[in-house]
Amino acid sequence: MHGTHGRFLRVDLTERSVAAEAIPDTVFAGLIGGIGLASWLLVRHCPPGADPLGPENPLVFASSPFVGTGVTTASKIAVAAKSPQTGVIGDSLSSSYLAIALKRTGFDALVVTGRAATPTVLVVDDGRVSYRPANDLLGLAPERVAETLRAELGGGFRVAAIGVAGERGVRYAAIANDGRLAGRTGSGAVMGSKGLKAIAIRGSRLPAVADPKGLAAAARDLAGRSRGPATAKYREVGTAANLAFFDRIGVLPTRNFQSGHFAQAEAIGGETLLLEHGTDKHGCAACTVGCEHHYRTRDGNGGPETDARLEYETLFALGSLCGVGDPNDVLRAAARCDDLGMDAISAGATIAWAMECRERGVDLGSPMDEVPAFGDGPAVLRALDAIGARTGIGDLLAEGSRRAAEIVGQGSDAWAMHVKGLELPGYDPRKLQTLALGLAVGTRGACHNRSSAYEVDLSDRLDPDAEATMRATAAAAAEDQAAILDSLTLCKFLRHAFADLPAEAAALHSLVTGSPTTADDLLRSGERITNLKKGFNIAQGWTRTDDTLPPRVLSATPEAPTDLSRPWLDQMIAAYYGVRGWAADGTIPLAHSARIGLSGLVE
Amino acid sequence: MTFSVAAPPAVAVELFGVPRLLAAQRHVVVAGRTLGEVAGALAGACPALLGPVLDPGTGWLVDGYIFVAGERFSRDPGRVLGEGASVLLVSSVAGG
Repeated sequence: MHGTHGRFLRVDLTERSVAAEAIPDTVFAGLIGGIGLASWLLVRHCPPGADPLGPENPLVFASSPFVGTGVTTASKIAVAAKSPQTGVIGDSLSSSYLAIALKRTGFDALVVTGRAATPTVLVVDDGRVSYRPANDLLGLAPERVAETLRAELGGGFRVAAIGVAGERGVRYAAIANDGRLAGRTGSGAVMGSKGLKAIAIRGSRLPAVADPKGLAAAARDLAGRSRGPATAKYREVGTAANLAFFDRIGVLPTRNFQSGHFAQAEAIGGETLLLEHGTDKHGCAACTVGCEHHYRTRDGNGGPETDARLEYETLFALGSLCGVGDPNDVLRAAARCDDLGMDAISAGATIAWAMECRERGVDLGSPMDEVPAFGDGPAVLRALDAIGARTGIGDLLAEGSRRAAEIVGQGSDAWAMHVKGLELPGYDPRKLQTLALGLAVGTRGACHNRSSAYEVDLSDRLDPDAEATMRATAAAAAEDQAAILDSLTLCKFLRHAFADLPAEAAALHSLVTGSPTTADDLLRSGERITNLKKGFNIAQGWTRTDDTLPPRVLSATPEAPTDLSRPWLDQMIAAYYGVRGWAADGTIPLAHSARIGLSGLVE
Repeated sequence: MTFSVAAPPAVAVELFGVPRLLAAQRHVVVAGRTLGEVAGALAGACPALLGPVLDPGTGWLVDGYIFVAGERFSRDPGRVLGEGASVLLVSSVAGG
């Protein structure tokens, strides 16, 4: 198939063995690439019951047929492993040059297993593998690691690295590259458990596309549309634009989801940040949108200020969720999460859980002055450092809210805001019912990126009184669309630049691969990928009780009214399983697996 | 016999994101009975919205923007607003 190499590189760090293995064309035809390919490789290489932090857990990096083709926003790399945070599939995406570097090595994917005897850098140079000791890099932030290795190995290398959080096994540690993060589900902890501080990649061999002229014309057209009103919000304000609006409509998670309104929302809103703290903006490699806004603190009184990249999710998690309304504190905390190499959503949410423990007088086994109080920005910064180093209260919080609540007990699981161990994103599901369903059934836990069902709720597409099957149909469609985009490795911010996403993406796919692809083909692939991930979870021990929401959002309080209830959620979940063609207990019947063409792809 | 036509009610429009930056204000009060009339009045009150947010030809929202009226998202210019209505103007591209 054009646009692919048809093989992946497998490296075992224990044995220091290297092998090139084939990826059949049927895998690309059925699962596209990106998250679909990474999930397929994970299913093949991760045994049921694998310890997520053990050598048997594979760490997968995968590209897609679109990477390196010039299609705007397509330079993304998919990362997958069994998550140390959730125990189910951990899949994430990170943008920019690393994806192109991997594709240039002559392989579509890299699978790393085993554990290095000493801290190591894995170097992949045009498919040749070597190792570099990493002792001198320990303790460094990912960006410093990349600078060091690029200076030493050559500028053509691109680097994925972990920070201190990954080294210390923080369960929501991330992998960073080119200033971006494969942020959620703890892939950085998996990398750290393998003794792998960094992977440096360089290559020179991109596969040919089927129709270069046709693709160039189509890519130009799409790039033009990517600069229009469909992406203006991201280009002009950035994702931080969500915050003030979400507060206004009461869906801004505040003080550990105790409210949907934050009194200081305007102070940390995207519009204010842009005007008072904005410095410049950037785009990822091969991106014509350019959504990444940079900010600077403004309270240094002549001393050094902190520069930070900031997205809405970081802003809500380290801001309203922790009750912090000083933008300088939020910016410093965001930069610290990047330096430590950890997911800001889970970090902020776990700290918010601890703040509520303090508020309720729950003993966390640490001196009370180590436990931050709501609204205390400097204390959040200290907590982040403690988490990264796993010292004091940080050792508990490094486990994430689910495990921390299990350790502490005292009823604190009642305000641990996670699904399957993954902390909720910045959308209060109490008023967003389709998203609530999407978060409950999500294969990687509470994730807005894999569900995208918020888009239905924040639109005029569905009546607020829509019944369960309508919500289930919308949630499944949103999930499958996300799977398509994540597997084509197209940015979700591009989705409204398409007039007909499945049809136009299929046309692009045909031009790249030379394999005639229809909208229906892509839609079926989306469904197949969702089922593949669910199948992995079932093999790893998922049960029906895992598809749920935190109890807090299912009952109303005066500060936080809710449209949800346990019976209504269960009704929506049952309808969702029905729409999916699954059994009433949420398992996938063999006949269904065969019907959607999944059984032929996995054993 | 004479007929009197009541003046359209005042509508408070709250701006978010790009509309707020372009208009350089958070709130605008305009007169209008429907969302269509509000959009038309907004064009007069905030000329900077013409083009990026409001279609200069139709006076209605360009693709990519939506009103929220009475907790309902709407791109229906005929949607009738009550007395003392409050309307939000925001990007229709959710998420991020």
